[in-house]
Amino acid sequence: MSPPVLQLTGLSKSYGHGDIFSGISFEVGSGKTVGLFGQSGSGKTTLGRCIMRIENPSSGQIMMQGMDLARIRRGKLRDLRPSFQMIFQHPEVSLNPRMTLGESVAEPLMVHKRIGMDDALREIGPLIRRVGLRDEHLARYPHQLSGGEVQRAVLSRIFSLKPKLVVADEPTSMLDVSVQAQVLRLMQDLQKETGVSYVFISHDPDVMSVMCDDVLWINHGKGVMYDRSAFIDRVKTRYILDVPA
Amino acid sequence: MTLLSVKDLNVCFPTGEGIVHASRDVSFSMESGEVLGLVGETGSGKSVIGQAIIRLLPTNANITGTIAFNGQELTTLKDDAMHALRGRVISLVPQNPSGSLDPLVRNGMQIGEIFIERGMTKNTAWDKACDLLVAVGLIPSDRIAKEYPHELSGGMRQRLTTSIAIAEKSCLIIADEPTKGLDYHARETTARVLSDIKTRDNVSLLLITHDLYLAEHLCDWIAVLYAGEIVEIGPAGQIFNTPRHPYTQALIRAMPKNGLVPLDGQSPSLMAIPKGCCFADRCSCHSEICSKEHPDLIQESLNGGVRCHHPSCN
Repeated sequence: MSPPVLQLTGLSKSYGHGDIFSGISFEVGSGKTVGLFGQSGSGKTTLGRCIMRIENPSSGQIMMQGMDLARIRRGKLRDLRPSFQMIFQHPEVSLNPRMTLGESVAEPLMVHKRIGMDDALREIGPLIRRVGLRDEHLARYPHQLSGGEVQRAVLSRIFSLKPKLVVADEPTSMLDVSVQAQVLRLMQDLQKETGVSYVFISHDPDVMSVMCDDVLWINHGKGVMYDRSAFIDRVKTRYILDVPA
Repeated sequence: MTLLSVKDLNVCFPTGEGIVHASRDVSFSMESGEVLGLVGETGSGKSVIGQAIIRLLPTNANITGTIAFNGQELTTLKDDAMHALRGRVISLVPQNPSGSLDPLVRNGMQIGEIFIERGMTKNTAWDKACDLLVAVGLIPSDRIAKEYPHELSGGMRQRLTTSIAIAEKSCLIIADEPTKGLDYHARETTARVLSDIKTRDNVSLLLITHDLYLAEHLCDWIAVLYAGEIVEIGPAGQIFNTPRHPYTQALIRAMPKNGLVPLDGQSPSLMAIPKGCCFADRCSCHSEICSKEHPDLIQESLNGGVRCHHPSCN
């Protein structure tokens, strides 16, 4: 069996007023999806941001490709960045409002590969069509696009770097149910095609049940790991309203 | 008796690039104490209908059709008469709670100012505000009343705006996306608060949502909107168990618990409405007639109907 793409050991984060979470340990296998589930304010987004090193964990290890991201030097972190990427919750603020979609999706390749805009767009072209965007979209600005279109653009931006791990922070909670299905299916297809691993953050148990192999249920700063069927059983006993008998 | 009767409501917005037909030929009626859900994707014209009823549309909106509330025509009502209804008889739970609360006013006074406006003393108003906070599950109410909106989570702010809407004993509450972006617990609480209001005070609720779970749980009737028009309307159970319009069927199949089946394509631009059926190019059972002839909403009962040339084809 191949080694895990990501391995967290005893990860903790606290601010001045107390622990957000503590002692979080789990691993994500290649091509697998691990969900982070919990209520608003449970710390699941902060955990995702710590994995991305957008925030610094207080203690613990984040092992990726044999290196501990929690202790890595900045320059080294930058070299590793293309291999782990994040999708944010709010499509309306995910892209620079003053850049066209074409500029936004080409940007990561231009930065990391040091190539020009035209080359970047040529390279990302098949991916743009793969996520269901058309050339006409590229000239538009984010406010001229729907939430679903922005999330597709974000996916093409991220996957242009061929990441090994994507942290998806409630990528569809602001989308309609029909658009949510499109985006989630696209994420599943991209996973099959590229073998990427996901850390999938959501508060929707139905979405979790569809997307995740394992789910870390975060409650009061502690995480408990469930496999998919155990998670579904546990949800049924906790949420009566929305899960039909 | 019929509380609200909307007939042939058309709302359009002239813009520099053309006319946006946000709502077309929308008709429905509601009895006292009923919950009607307007469901559909973003841009299907749901919120515009709610705002047309409470007359909060921007001034450039062109409105035709009739909206009768308790026998009174709202579209032609004088501004001061509408002002007397708005917030007192018809209330709105706005879509964006953070943008609807005054950031410089304590949570208690956000509600309390309604009672002060009515002539109560500040202390009585504050006490009544605390009672309302308890009613929507914001406990401990005395602490939360002293805090400011930014100290509340999204779900708590949503409940605060709901409590403002129920402060007056309104006959009709229009709740615009009350669960957008909320987690499961907050959704559950919001659903419970709304269903409590309905049973306790016999209030009618117009629920505007794309949250199908909430709609299934709360609504007596559901109207499904697509590209500004009602494509199917009927009792909630019927809509969820035996949907007849292909779009309704696709929406229900797209729910994660029903298999997360995506519906390809996009709804048409509201500036260029197709001649035939708006859903034709995404529909698996379309035929020649679908792209040629616009289907009528075939009324099968007083409040039930489907707008399709081939209903129940899937």
